[in-house]
Amino acid sequence: MDLISENLLTILILLPAFGGLAVLGHSLYWKDDGHLKWITLGFTVAAFLISLLLLSGTPGSNGYMFEKNIPWIQAIGTNYHVGVDGLSLWLVLLTTFIMPIAVLSSWHAVEKRPAAFYVFLLLLQSAMIGVFVSLDLLVFYLFFEASLVPMFFLIGIWGGENRIYATVKFFIFTAFGSLLMLVAIIALYYLHLQATGTGTFDLLTLLASLESGKLAFAAPVGTLLFLAFAISFAIKVPVFPFHTWLPDAHTEAPTAGSVILAAVLLKMGTYGLMRFNFPLFPEASRELAPIFIVLAIIGIIYGALVAMVQPDMKRLVAYSSVAHMGFVVLGMFSFTEWGMQGALYQMLNHGISTGALFLLVGFIYERRHTRAITEYGGISSVMPLYATFFVFTTMSSIGLPFLNGFVGEFLIMVGMWKSTILSITDSANWNYIATMFAGTGVIFAAVYLLWMVQRIFFGKLTNEKNRGLKDLTYREIGLMVPLLFLMVYMGVYPKPFLERSRDTVVAIQERVMRQAGGTVDHDEHTAKAE
Amino acid sequence: MIENNLLAIIIFAPLVGAVINWLVGGRLRNEMFSGVVACGSIAISCIVAFYIAFVADGGALFIDKPVLSHIWTWIDVGGFRADFALGMDRLSGIYVCFITFVGLFIHIFATGYMHGDSGFYRFFSYLNLFMFAMLVLVLADNYLLMFVGWEGVGLCSYLLIGYYTNQDEPRRAAKKAFVMNRIGDWGVLMGIFLIFTLTGSISFYDKSVDGVQVHSVFTWVLENISVAEPFTWGAIIGGGLTSIGVLLFIGATGKSAQIPLLTWLPDAMAGPTPVSALIHAATMVTAGVYLVVRSNAIYQLSPTAMWIIAVIGAATAIFAATIAIAQNDIKKVLAYSTVSQLGFMFLAAGVGAFVVAIFHVMTHAFFKALLFLGSGSVIHGMHHEQDMRKMGNLKKYMPITFITMATGWLAIAGIPIFSGFFSKDEILYKTFAADKYFQGGYFPGNEVLWVVAVITAILTAIYMTRMMIMTFWGKERFHDPLPGEEHHDDDGHDDDDHHHALPHDFKPHESPWVMTVPLIVLAFLSTVGGLIGIPYAMSSLPVVSSIVGKEANHFEHILEPVIAEVETPTAIKARENAASHSPEAVSTERWLALLSTVLAVVGIGIGFALFRNSPLRQMPKILEEKWRLDELYNGWIVDPLTRLSTNTLWKGFDVGFIDGIVNGIGGSITEASSYMRGIQTGFIRSYAAMIILGALCVLGYFVYYGIRLIG
Repeated sequence: MDLISENLLTILILLPAFGGLAVLGHSLYWKDDGHLKWITLGFTVAAFLISLLLLSGTPGSNGYMFEKNIPWIQAIGTNYHVGVDGLSLWLVLLTTFIMPIAVLSSWHAVEKRPAAFYVFLLLLQSAMIGVFVSLDLLVFYLFFEASLVPMFFLIGIWGGENRIYATVKFFIFTAFGSLLMLVAIIALYYLHLQATGTGTFDLLTLLASLESGKLAFAAPVGTLLFLAFAISFAIKVPVFPFHTWLPDAHTEAPTAGSVILAAVLLKMGTYGLMRFNFPLFPEASRELAPIFIVLAIIGIIYGALVAMVQPDMKRLVAYSSVAHMGFVVLGMFSFTEWGMQGALYQMLNHGISTGALFLLVGFIYERRHTRAITEYGGISSVMPLYATFFVFTTMSSIGLPFLNGFVGEFLIMVGMWKSTILSITDSANWNYIATMFAGTGVIFAAVYLLWMVQRIFFGKLTNEKNRGLKDLTYREIGLMVPLLFLMVYMGVYPKPFLERSRDTVVAIQERVMRQAGGTVDHDEHTAKAE
Repeated sequence: MIENNLLAIIIFAPLVGAVINWLVGGRLRNEMFSGVVACGSIAISCIVAFYIAFVADGGALFIDKPVLSHIWTWIDVGGFRADFALGMDRLSGIYVCFITFVGLFIHIFATGYMHGDSGFYRFFSYLNLFMFAMLVLVLADNYLLMFVGWEGVGLCSYLLIGYYTNQDEPRRAAKKAFVMNRIGDWGVLMGIFLIFTLTGSISFYDKSVDGVQVHSVFTWVLENISVAEPFTWGAIIGGGLTSIGVLLFIGATGKSAQIPLLTWLPDAMAGPTPVSALIHAATMVTAGVYLVVRSNAIYQLSPTAMWIIAVIGAATAIFAATIAIAQNDIKKVLAYSTVSQLGFMFLAAGVGAFVVAIFHVMTHAFFKALLFLGSGSVIHGMHHEQDMRKMGNLKKYMPITFITMATGWLAIAGIPIFSGFFSKDEILYKTFAADKYFQGGYFPGNEVLWVVAVITAILTAIYMTRMMIMTFWGKERFHDPLPGEEHHDDDGHDDDDHHHALPHDFKPHESPWVMTVPLIVLAFLSTVGGLIGIPYAMSSLPVVSSIVGKEANHFEHILEPVIAEVETPTAIKARENAASHSPEAVSTERWLALLSTVLAVVGIGIGFALFRNSPLRQMPKILEEKWRLDELYNGWIVDPLTRLSTNTLWKGFDVGFIDGIVNGIGGSITEASSYMRGIQTGFIRSYAAMIILGALCVLGYFVYYGIRLIG
């Protein structure tokens, strides 16, 4: 057991990659594709079960659990440094949780080159977990880039008709962002070298140097570095106006790809902002927060409005992602405990709800091979269970209280409402105004999702092609049930989730706000209440 | 602190009922089973509710402290605390009692009404779920849990309006209801944020949980704010109590269908009739009034918000009444009537007569539930015909329905003794004398509001009389074609074949006992239910006081402690005025009561004069078309927004602008690789390779440049 728990994160990174090798080996040796999905499923389920051990960890003195720091390329001072804290814990679990579901979702859908498909899925998982646990900037960057490649192929080979256009766009956007980040990472290395005599990519070392004042950024440098990181992450999230790759990528991706993209890949952007941008560049974070808040609000409203008029189900859900991720960004940049905790929680919620929505769209697509909303209508009469699941998931995405989405969105809005980050002048309460605008997203979400539900499920069954539609199979029900369960559980009892992330999030928040001389909100609050 | 864990049973019994019906009822498909589970669970709630309200710990309605029950801590982040905890004080006690009681009888009625429907179990599952949400709403001990119930009832309303899933009209109506409610919910959410920001709490009661002391919002307000906010428009955006009041009221306009968010309620009649009775008349739509009265400590200190509530209430009341007078669908008449009556309730709350508002909520729950169930009985007897132009002379065929509905008619028209008389009369008087009783002191324009309310009262009597005449009197019109069209104006019902042509030997029939018994019970309550709140001006009349005693306003005495004792001079004065019963005030109130009785009789008289001999009298087109409000919303809000989203944002900005730039940048790569499109195998790989190669070049450049920049 000790061996496992000491190397838990390494195992979680490597296990799926080994799974990929196993799939490859099996397919080359036996030339039989029938077992591949079982092998893949086995590895992803194993990874999920092992990842549950993460919950048993206790944070060390620096807040990280299962930390591992081994020199890697000593010449440039990069270490294989991994660890999880309250920020990454749930994202790793989300990844390992969603992967078996993604595999099962494409149980019958992959006809072309199944071996390659599963290998890419498993490699993608390794890369994603690597992203969330890396504490070395260079290692993080490598995983960040590595996650691009499998997704690129998943869309490019198994995607829909317009997949080439989508992959090119996906690549141009994300590669552009990655390059900026790489420049910034290297710059950090050299800045540290200049200041202290040793170059490092290690996040904790960099933070410690910043803390002790050994390393400091001159006026424009900090802002520029912040921007280099932030743009890269903003593209990933995606923050308006970098969002246009998302609808295409989602629409063209196979179901498993869409699910992973929505559930995990987008989170890499918001995770990166919280992990790197805020602690490394607290001042720039504060200074530029208004810009990101405005962009987030535009994203919320813009995404909702455009989602409303989409004729394609997947594209609609994709645009709804833009709106939902806008909430996450808004919460983070409020720099309050509520907002940042809410943002982190909302990342998980969005992963589950939107992932579930893409699954559901995938179910119907496999049956009818069309995603055009106008092709449907009244199908609740032939697929009652499907309709029930769909409406349920919709309600979660809309943010109905006691389902997961509400807790996150609510905390984000409380955070923004109480935020002091927009207090440019003393007179106007911009934080109130910002929250009021963001709050309209809650209304729009109901409009576009319920309108879609209304057009797909209710009314008379007009299209004869839909008359023979079969309701969900046991596999599909089995896929949805864990997701539905989590929607309820996370909505009714968020405490265990929020508790584990609290210390990390508060540490980041205090780091950003402390140097502003700003007080921490809840302290001020309790004082007032007494 | 009084705790009673039985409170949880009140809310969870219906939830358990809903789950059982969904899981087990769906398999058994046995109407007896589903009906017993549904009604039984509400009966349990009802019994426990009455037990706690009247018996346990001295009765929640009679003691000064709320009965609390902490179930679990829902959200606790950075000093923001929302418990899943229930509390029954006098206000929620009254609400819970009438909700469970009326709800129980509506459930029983529904077992008869929905008989033979293929989704019987599903219907009762939703209906029980609704009861759960509604009870959470009123029993919640903090704003956020109240909001859970608030949204929950919205969801159930959505599910139940859209219950007939294979028709067009219900699905549209359901979505519209949800969205309009959501617009209001925005206000509630923002209001909660502001409450939390100002007071540091969202709890209704002072309590201690897990050793943590939680203070009540209202206690905080009373202790820390001793000056009412100014009576100005500026106060609305001042970020103080007035802002809270207005934001919460935005929520109330959504839930309770007030101007401008009223158009969903009439459309909601597309749902089954028991739903209309339970959700869209008796309980859910009065949640807005509950919210306002619950927050009265805040409102009393924000006269601007109060004034807005009163004006919106009065405007909605008369607006809806004018529409009700021209509708031909029996349920639409009642729907607009509900909107109008809700306007009365807000008028009462707005002029500071919070207790009277709740009194009208309760009497309205009795007589409007009765009227809706009566209309359900009629519709049932008429084989799902809802158009009153095809009815007539039903009193011959449906005597019980006729008599019970007649009591509802007299109650809503405001004939003395009947319950509606007392509550409506109080509202008129409090509006007339607002300057005396209004906590903010000066109330501009109360005379105008009073005139509006009086006209509305006459209109109420007229349209209800018209409805009664068209339905129960006159000659039978079962087979008469409608003027100008063969079709029923609700095209959503097209697939009900029996809907259009009633068979030639058609005879309406009286409904079975499961439907008539609830009618009789509610008729009884509509008749005598008002007697628990006889105003002093009437109970002090010599004749009356010899029967009921001089102080017969038990309702007010129960609810009085709910109204916060705000320490502003004007509020103190208002309380003194209310308590003193000065002779002139009493005599004014008596005269006004006489006047409103006369008006009710006159209204009924006008109704008979106009419609007795020509029930199908053509009404003004603009009223029949509901002042074209829906068209206005569609033309000025919905359509432009859709066009903006499609043309400007999506096709213009996203596809045109952003993608244009990106494609321009990526154009070289795309062009370079486009000639490879003919090659099938390995195409992707070579394509990717090219991109990666290109990317590496760019990358190298950046790295080089980056190093130079820094070094």
